[in-house]
Amino acid sequence: MAFNFNWSPLMADTSAARIMLTTALNKSPKPPIIVDDIIVTELNLGSTPPELEILEVGDLAEDRFRGIFKMSYTGDAFLTLKTRVQANPLNTYLSTKPSFASPQPLAAASGLTIPLQITLSDIRLSGFVILVFSRQKGLTLVFRNDPLESLKVSSTFDSIPFVRDYLQKEIEGQLRVLFMEDLPAILHRLSLRLWSPEYAEMDDERMEQEAKDTTVPIDPLASPPQDAVDAFGNPLDEDQLSAFALDPSSETHASFSQKNLIRLAALTESHHTLSLFTPAMRETVFRAWAGACERSEHSGIATPSLTQSSLSRIQSSFGSNKSTTPSLASSSTGNETASSRPTLQSFNSTQTGIGMGSRTRTTRKKKTRVVNLRKDKTTSEDASSIGTDNSAPPSITISEIASIPEDHEEDLATPPKSPVKTLRYESQHGSLDVGEPAQLLEQPADPTPTAPVLSELSTPKTSRDRSKAKAASPFPSLTPEHPQLGRSTTSKPPQSHIHQVSGSTRMLRSLSLDKIPFQTSVSGSSTSRHPLSPTAYAESSSSGSGGILEQAWMMKMANEIARRVQDEKDKEARGEQRVAAKLDSGMWEAGDVEAPPAYEA
Amino acid sequence: MLGFMDYVQNAFAEATGWNRDNSYGTLNATAQALLDFDTPRGLRLNLSSLAAPTFATSYSIGSVGVVDGSVSYLYSSVPLQTSAKSCDIDLHRVIRGYRHLRELRRPDDDAWWELWHGGKRIDRKKTLLYGRILVPHSTLEALYLRRLSPTRQLRISCVSDSNLNNGGTILGLLQNDHGKYSTEYMYSTDSALMGVRGLYNFGFDPRVEPAIPTGQETTEPIYGRFSAGAELYYGLLNKSGGISTGLRFTTLPHHTGFPYTMTLTLNPLMGNLSSTYAVKAGQNLALCSRFDFNFYSYESDLQVGCELWRRRRNPEVEWAVKKLRPDWDALTPKPDEDVAGVLKARVDQNWKIGLLWEGRVKELLFTLGASLDLKRREQIFRAVGVELQYSS
Repeated sequence: MAFNFNWSPLMADTSAARIMLTTALNKSPKPPIIVDDIIVTELNLGSTPPELEILEVGDLAEDRFRGIFKMSYTGDAFLTLKTRVQANPLNTYLSTKPSFASPQPLAAASGLTIPLQITLSDIRLSGFVILVFSRQKGLTLVFRNDPLESLKVSSTFDSIPFVRDYLQKEIEGQLRVLFMEDLPAILHRLSLRLWSPEYAEMDDERMEQEAKDTTVPIDPLASPPQDAVDAFGNPLDEDQLSAFALDPSSETHASFSQKNLIRLAALTESHHTLSLFTPAMRETVFRAWAGACERSEHSGIATPSLTQSSLSRIQSSFGSNKSTTPSLASSSTGNETASSRPTLQSFNSTQTGIGMGSRTRTTRKKKTRVVNLRKDKTTSEDASSIGTDNSAPPSITISEIASIPEDHEEDLATPPKSPVKTLRYESQHGSLDVGEPAQLLEQPADPTPTAPVLSELSTPKTSRDRSKAKAASPFPSLTPEHPQLGRSTTSKPPQSHIHQVSGSTRMLRSLSLDKIPFQTSVSGSSTSRHPLSPTAYAESSSSGSGGILEQAWMMKMANEIARRVQDEKDKEARGEQRVAAKLDSGMWEAGDVEAPPAYEA
Repeated sequence: MLGFMDYVQNAFAEATGWNRDNSYGTLNATAQALLDFDTPRGLRLNLSSLAAPTFATSYSIGSVGVVDGSVSYLYSSVPLQTSAKSCDIDLHRVIRGYRHLRELRRPDDDAWWELWHGGKRIDRKKTLLYGRILVPHSTLEALYLRRLSPTRQLRISCVSDSNLNNGGTILGLLQNDHGKYSTEYMYSTDSALMGVRGLYNFGFDPRVEPAIPTGQETTEPIYGRFSAGAELYYGLLNKSGGISTGLRFTTLPHHTGFPYTMTLTLNPLMGNLSSTYAVKAGQNLALCSRFDFNFYSYESDLQVGCELWRRRRNPEVEWAVKKLRPDWDALTPKPDEDVAGVLKARVDQNWKIGLLWEGRVKELLFTLGASLDLKRREQIFRAVGVELQYSS
């Protein structure tokens, strides 16, 4: 599996983006200190693309994606803005005040406009990016840490050290806020506009309202409520949190439009009545069991917490890992996002580190936390990170097993590629019991190479190491991944891994999740030194949906990308506009409490 | 055109013998009146009344996209004898144009203001209270004006608005006018801005009693006045300030030629130099020009404006009027009865034009205004407005 990012068309022509950026910057009312139009004179994305290193692909389906990237950018992009500012502080001060109580100076407030040119260059970015995409919920992109390493701000006032330092500090601070808070919100909104047109309509309406509204838009993802509880007092999961934190009302509206509801009603009716008529729904994936879907999605969203725990484990010493107990994990109630803000150094203690992932879990699920499959993977990951050139899927545990047929697709008789069909398989088999994992795992159309492996894997007593070894042996291409993943080098995984192994079907996964408490109640007591956050568990199990789907999805994505290159370029440019608009206005607003800029389309 | 409440406040200043022109803040009042006039936007109606000599009310309603309005009340402890009916208000007092400065007057003696009755002092300090509420913005403006002594006046103006920082702002202004010089001290709660202004008039000192008349030289009138002033501001909270100095020479009524006014202001911090020249080229025409130059940014600006009083001519009696003796002015009891309107126009180097046509129709005072921008071909008219005033 390889991603092919084409950077050159992005950097080729930025004149359109520059013009759009200029208009966007001048659309909103400017602070009084800026007395002229803001003109973007130069915008160059540079010749060096950012490096993206795929650390983890958690979930991959036609309509959703979840992955963790390590991004670093040391390119030569730069942006030059030109405007004129009012240098007389008395002038700007008086221009915002009512004239009735103004001292009305005679000439002390006369203006002095100075042309100002700001160039942002030498942008160095490095950080972990968590990308969650779901067609319904849009794209969620979160930076795990502060990605901005350094930035060079040069302006007209470089000769004045005080002003230069001030500008440097201000712009850096604004960019940090931009990356951590504004960019995710903007991207999320953009993606919703892109994929659900009804949201776009609603968004347009809301934009107009927001333009009048003077409250600062707060990114709800940035700070979820601490220790949130639901109506019954049960602590909420963070995925639930994020589900309602990001504009829940609009989402429900977007996902359930009147038109779609009628169609869905017709669909269910046709099931009931055995009618042959089924309404056509474009770009829709049918799954028989909505509950299972939800379940897998539910677990899929938990990635941030998962990565948090896994990343935190990078810092944690191996020895101290053993002392971690579920009770410790449950005792930590740290706010996830807040703790993700500071750099990873704050996770030096294992307790918090592992606790992070499983915070706000209900007591009902607490037992699942003891299963730590991924502890060692991440520790070794720290040592040998996955190279980007390595196109082998750096997926986790079961997912490669499930994706084995895909890797050897040319050799093997490939199954029907239609993802829908595969999903149907899933759902059909998903209704089966857990007790027949071998049968379940016949879903890959040519089971001959995989079946023995998988069946072995699926025996309840098989430990993770062995399953990995077995999985690797028939397919040597997988072995390089093994040390990287390194998950089972030291820990003996508990029995409940069977569910991960057999978890290639959604239904089964959901079942296995349900069963975890029973099984891990044994393993939890015996293997308390292998704590695993339930999110990690859920994540790894849900990641098993790969297989042929991945390939098909990738193919489809490639087509889609080709189709939308122009479209997306525009969107990106618009996104940048907003980013810059936000940046700009925020930059000047630091000292001025004007109406905040609304995101404008 | 001056609003009704401003007109009443001017009347108060006149009644209390306060010279508004003897202040650094009004150093270039002529240029401001001829070049910086506001052009109305939309439609605005004012309904005012000086119900009692000490009490005035004014209501206004306007429409610039949204309908807004204001209600204002004014109380003056001094009975204002001036006529406030819009049908017989002197247009020269409501239309700000070229300002003729009067000769300086010797300030009253404190003792002159004292009133004694039965061994007790019964005089009250002259006070003006003014309040105005603007709807629907819920902005409240309030003014407290008090003549502390013949040479001193305290002026406190407040604005309460939820959109402002701290919900409002208060400006306190203490003005001293000694004729020869005047000083002002101010404090604004907004960012703790402190300011001081001063104006000094060279030459004639009105406070000095003229010596015993010894023939011709004492009666020689003063033709002009030269004044210099400066202002200084400093905001304690935002640690920023401003400074400017200014000079003015203006002719006084005794001047035989065209009256003219020249000012030069300089802001040394910002490098801004501004010079104005205004001339009243006849009874009905005043011209003004202003040149701004910034010697830091080399930016310059030129503005030209004029004020033209248009009078109705009655061709049937015109020949007779011409034959009248020049000093025969009993013909028109009201000097501006024949005024059809006053045209004010300004243009600057960027071809931004402001036009104002003011006058009286029946019992209404009207103001028609437009601002144009010839550089923008697609939208030449920037703003057009009509303002109507009726007062009784």
